[in-house]
Order: sequence, then structure tokens, then C-alpha cells
Amino acid sequence: MPQHLPQSSGPGGDAAAGAVFAALADPTRRHLVAALAAGGGATATGLAAELPISRQAVAKHLATLGRAGLVSQSRRGRESLFELDPRPLADAAAWLTTVGAEWDTRLAGLQRLLDR
Amino acid sequence: MTLPGSERGPAAERADTERVSRSVELDAAPAEVWDALTERALLAEWLADEVEIEAEPGGAIVCRYADGEERRGEVELVEEAERLAWSWRREGGAQPSRVELVLDAVAERTRLTVIETPTVFETAPFGTSGPLLAVTWSAPLTRLRTAVRLVLA
Repeated sequence: MPQHLPQSSGPGGDAAAGAVFAALADPTRRHLVAALAAGGGATATGLAAELPISRQAVAKHLATLGRAGLVSQSRRGRESLFELDPRPLADAAAWLTTVGAEWDTRLAGLQRLLDR
Repeated sequence: MTLPGSERGPAAERADTERVSRSVELDAAPAEVWDALTERALLAEWLADEVEIEAEPGGAIVCRYADGEERRGEVELVEEAERLAWSWRREGGAQPSRVELVLDAVAERTRLTVIETPTVFETAPFGTSGPLLAVTWSAPLTRLRTAVRLVLA
């Protein structure tokens, strides 16, 4: 009988991992996350200056990242300051770790089967 | 300007941060390994406690485990004794993924490589609802994981 690891779930579990993977599926959003990771907080205007897209488009992508919990928003004067919240990335990392452990177990079982 | 996220590291560096990849050398010819990947009775020895598979593109795959967990999916690619791929998701789970198994003959043995990649759904921005296009996620996560370590440390 194959050994089976129960699906471990971190704080957000694999639903949260799914939201993170989906939020990061878009290359522009990956750029935004990378820019926020590298430079700390930024405004939509500041981020738009680094990308070939409008401030409005940047704001829309930031909203998507916000729904996945990856970006938080606070006021700075008349503009919003956006900051990266990397905690949900831990859910995505947990998914990768769990799936890797599952394959280690399965492949060991396959090896035993074929060695018989 | 080049943003940090657009850098692409070497494949080996990327592998473990974007997808799960494993490789194992098996003491059997590719045809024998292929049977172990596509025959229900043999799959039940290593993949799950009970496995149903129609080894043809579009065929169903169902895996059941003793603890009640069930996974369902669809076979996507079948190249006999060379490549097999399916997508699946845990019942009640949110994260679908794609599994690809690649067989390479090495003398009398077989190198089996498995890659499991999370699948994500891009939703259309306006007017439509639901998943429109499934894309395989391939973002470099290295920097992000570094950020996670810094924050969670």
C-alpha cells in the first residue's frame, strides 16, 4: 500500500497558495512584486514610471495583489503607499514543499515495486 | 530599466522555486516503467491506494487514499514509454496542478523525471466570469522566498 502524506496546510492552506499563484501568474504583477521587494514601499505613480503601462493599470494590478494579501496600502499625503506583504508567499512555498515530499514518497515506492 | 523579477536564473536554480522536480533512476526498461505508470494494479502499489486511469488524452484519472482523500483529473499527454502528463486536483482543494513524467532510457535502466507545476487561472478583466485561460505559472520565486525568509525570520 502506498504511503500517503496528509495534505499539510499552513496558515492559509492550499486555497491561499492558489490565490498567490494566480496573483503572480501575470508578468506585470510579478514585476510589481519584485519592485516592491527591492525598493520597499512605493506609490502607483512611482511604480508606473518604471513600467510601460499607465498608473491606472498599475493600480488595478496592485488591487489584485491586495486581494491575494500580497500588498498592503496606507496613505501618504494625497497618494497611497503600497508595500509588499510576503507572508502569503509562505503558503505557496508550503505547497511546493508538500508536493515535493509526496513525490519523494511515491518514487521510493515505485523504486521498490520495480526492484522486486 | 530591467526589473529584478525579469531576471532568469539558470534552470537548475529555478526548478525548486517554481515547481517541483524529481528525478530517479529505476532498475527497469522504459516499457516496464511505462506499465507501472499506466496500469491500475501497478499504480495502486505506489501512486495511491486505488487508481483509475484511462491512459489516453482526455481520459480520466482518479486517485483514492486510505484516509479518504481523493484526487481527480484528466490525462493530457500520452507518448508510450516516453511521456505521460495529467492535471489533477484534490477534492475540496483549491490548487490544481499538472504532473509530467518523462522516461529516458539509460543503458538497460530508465531515468524517470517528474515535474509538478501549479496551474493557475487567469480571469478575464471585464464582462466575463470564471476561469478563462489556464496558464502554467513560471515566475521566478527566488527573490520572493528571500523576502519571506527576511520577514518571517
